[in-house]
Amino acid sequence: MTQQPRTWHANEAELRALADGVAGPALGASVESHLMRCGACRARMNDLVDGVLLDSVWSAIRETVEAPRPSVFERLLRKFGVSAESGRLLVAVPAMRGAWLIGATAALLFAGGAALFASGFGLALFLLVAPLVPVMGVAAAYGGDADPSHELVVTTPYSAGRLLLLRTAAVLATSLPVAALVGLALPGPAWLAVAWLIPGLAFVSLSLAAAPFVGATVSSGAVAATWSAIAIAVSKIGDPMDLAGPAVQVGSLVLCAAAVTTILTHFRLFDLPRGQT
Amino acid sequence: MSSVILTGLGKRYGRAPALTGVDLRLSSGVTGLLGPNGAGKTTLLRILATALAADEGQVRVFGQNPADTAGRLAIRRRLGYLPQESGFPRGFTAFGFVDYMAILKEWSDRAARHAEVRRVVGLADLTAVATKRVHALSGGQRRRVLLAQALIGRPDLLVLDEPTTGLDPQQRARLRDILSTAGETATLVISTHQTEDVAALCERVIVLDQGRVHFDGSVEGLISSAAGRVWLATDRHPEAQHAWRIGTGRWRNVGDAPADVEVVDPTLEDAYLLLVGDRARETEKEVVA
Repeated sequence: MTQQPRTWHANEAELRALADGVAGPALGASVESHLMRCGACRARMNDLVDGVLLDSVWSAIRETVEAPRPSVFERLLRKFGVSAESGRLLVAVPAMRGAWLIGATAALLFAGGAALFASGFGLALFLLVAPLVPVMGVAAAYGGDADPSHELVVTTPYSAGRLLLLRTAAVLATSLPVAALVGLALPGPAWLAVAWLIPGLAFVSLSLAAAPFVGATVSSGAVAATWSAIAIAVSKIGDPMDLAGPAVQVGSLVLCAAAVTTILTHFRLFDLPRGQT
Repeated sequence: MSSVILTGLGKRYGRAPALTGVDLRLSSGVTGLLGPNGAGKTTLLRILATALAADEGQVRVFGQNPADTAGRLAIRRRLGYLPQESGFPRGFTAFGFVDYMAILKEWSDRAARHAEVRRVVGLADLTAVATKRVHALSGGQRRRVLLAQALIGRPDLLVLDEPTTGLDPQQRARLRDILSTAGETATLVISTHQTEDVAALCERVIVLDQGRVHFDGSVEGLISSAAGRVWLATDRHPEAQHAWRIGTGRWRNVGDAPADVEVVDPTLEDAYLLLVGDRARETEKEVVA
């Protein structure tokens, strides 16, 4: 290090070396500690520092501090290739929070447990509950109280129909694997584990198709009530296995196709302001 | 060129009419909407913000019809809306909520979006609480979070339903600054119960009562309608529509002034009270007749 005359203040060359990032560790540390105490040198230093660089450092610091930390769900979604933006849109509803998933899992475990210990009745209960879990998820993703900022969201250019489908896809992705795992643990043929899948998809698409007309809470409630009534009647009169039988499967497929067609042909209805038909 | 044109606008909730025969043209600048509770202010703003569809009449915003899909989308791309009430998704921070709204407003580039979110959060004076959860903020701060999201992307139409509710005098002064700056280029419609906000900000004032427009003109025009109808006296005058004792101990009477009283300059509030009061009397007379 070249020896320069010491004064009470840092000289121009020392300040410039620090500003340009070429001061060695010893000089850098001593000038920095002097700057901490000396307002006059700080003012001279200001003129030597690149403002653009400072601004970019400052905004990077703010970005790190202010930008919201992604939740566990959002990080998981990222792992599955969902963009950070879509992840943000997904976690805004109750269906994407821990409480809902725990509830859904508990309901399935209960029904699955019942099927293990009280075969006939329990099996009927599982076949009743499993297809309804994703339907309830849809209600929790789009029902009246599900999105407290609904009034604002609906007035943005983002398609409400697209948002609904995005959230539905997330509900299905989280609830179907749980139901399938519980189903695999049941006695009886292995296909029972997925026998509720087509009815489940049919009920979800029915709820969605009716949602623009009556609201998601009413539509999913009506679907759940109707299926429960059918399931209870069938298991009282006949064999609970009929709930997974060919009649139900074919019926569900037809319903599913009709509902999906309705959604596609009426897609613009999701974006309508209240009161317009 | 008017950015908003409403013709014969009508809206009912069941049988109760909320708006009847509203004709309005709005262009850039700040327009204040005054009226008693239930006058139809929020209904009118919700229709402008494409949150509610009209039952009758025509709505054109930037020449677009909100009843068609393409028109509605075009309006929503140029709109900033502060609803009278809105909840927040659980767990979001102030920054996180404004960022969420910016995503919905098609800001897909993360760096540009975050820079814009920082700008509007700063405008709404929320930088210090940007990382706090919305549910931990005060009522006034939450109101400003909603205001911040309305300002995203410098919208051409700003629809603000009671933006000054819950703000202290300094925050209100700051809000006036933001809104008057925005009003230089954009069309702003604000509803409020605070006549002083209208007097301070708006070049134009619209008074709604029972779903109809009863005054549409300049603030000065509304004030001058009350000239000679406000006076000071030692007592409450029996004929006054409203009277209150002011700080000096004298009574400020608002109504039809008798002869030989000390008439004073009316404020916008006096004029508004008289307009709504006169309307109520007319309605009473009609009912009696």
